[in-house]
Amino acid sequence: MNELWFLNMAFVAILVGLGIYCLLTMKNLIKLLIGIEVIAKGITLALIATGFGKNNPLVAQSLAISFIVVEVSVVATALAIIINIYRHTKSLDIRKLTKLRG
Amino acid sequence: MHVALLLGLVFFSILAILLRDLLKAAICLAVASIVLAVVLFRMNAPYVGVFEISVVAGLITVLFISTIALTRGEEDVKESKTPVVIFPIFFVIFVIVDFVIMGRLLGKIGALPGAREMGSFGHVLWNQRTFDLVGQIGVIFAGVFAVLALFRKRNNHE
Repeated sequence: MNELWFLNMAFVAILVGLGIYCLLTMKNLIKLLIGIEVIAKGITLALIATGFGKNNPLVAQSLAISFIVVEVSVVATALAIIINIYRHTKSLDIRKLTKLRG
Repeated sequence: MHVALLLGLVFFSILAILLRDLLKAAICLAVASIVLAVVLFRMNAPYVGVFEISVVAGLITVLFISTIALTRGEEDVKESKTPVVIFPIFFVIFVIVDFVIMGRLLGKIGALPGAREMGSFGHVLWNQRTFDLVGQIGVIFAGVFAVLALFRKRNNHE
């Protein structure tokens, strides 16, 4: 059981690392949101894998469902912000947001 | 089988990050969600699996595709090629470090006590985690009002 948990956590770290790499290197706003989504997938896997490995599947499931609801809310708000930014700057390039500097 | 599914999950996540076409990236993200849902089903978490398929693979993909359709046209963002070139080196180093660190941590982390849970999922969700549901309702309303406020503000300017 511990071996499977270790394996799952190693893949969780890979997913979170991929998402952070995307956040650090990409310039497209929608790509950045995709990076956040990849991190969120890793977190969901971590919650369920820990619940499965430590014999607490029910609490882990309810926590994961809460997390998915938060994730959807974040994505909806972020996409609305992205559409507003696109209407203002006519671009999805994050570098063009530097003119918002005060 | 489990390892193959996890590898598929990582593969589609990499595709979603590295593909230049946003539409293909969004579809790869949805496929990754479906693979993750299968992994969750195999780990005795059917409710989260259903949520993952219906909400994340369904609703979020629809939101992504509609946003891409609304913002497409003028110009593509010029990504530098360096991240794509560096990626394999970064990925190999990261995986090696990851497995070394995880191997050392194995057995040292005592996450969650191992007592067996009693009752059904409905009992745990509705009776033990009631305030989570209140929080979820609050988060959903916050998201709805945020989206409404963002679009209403735009209409006032016009």
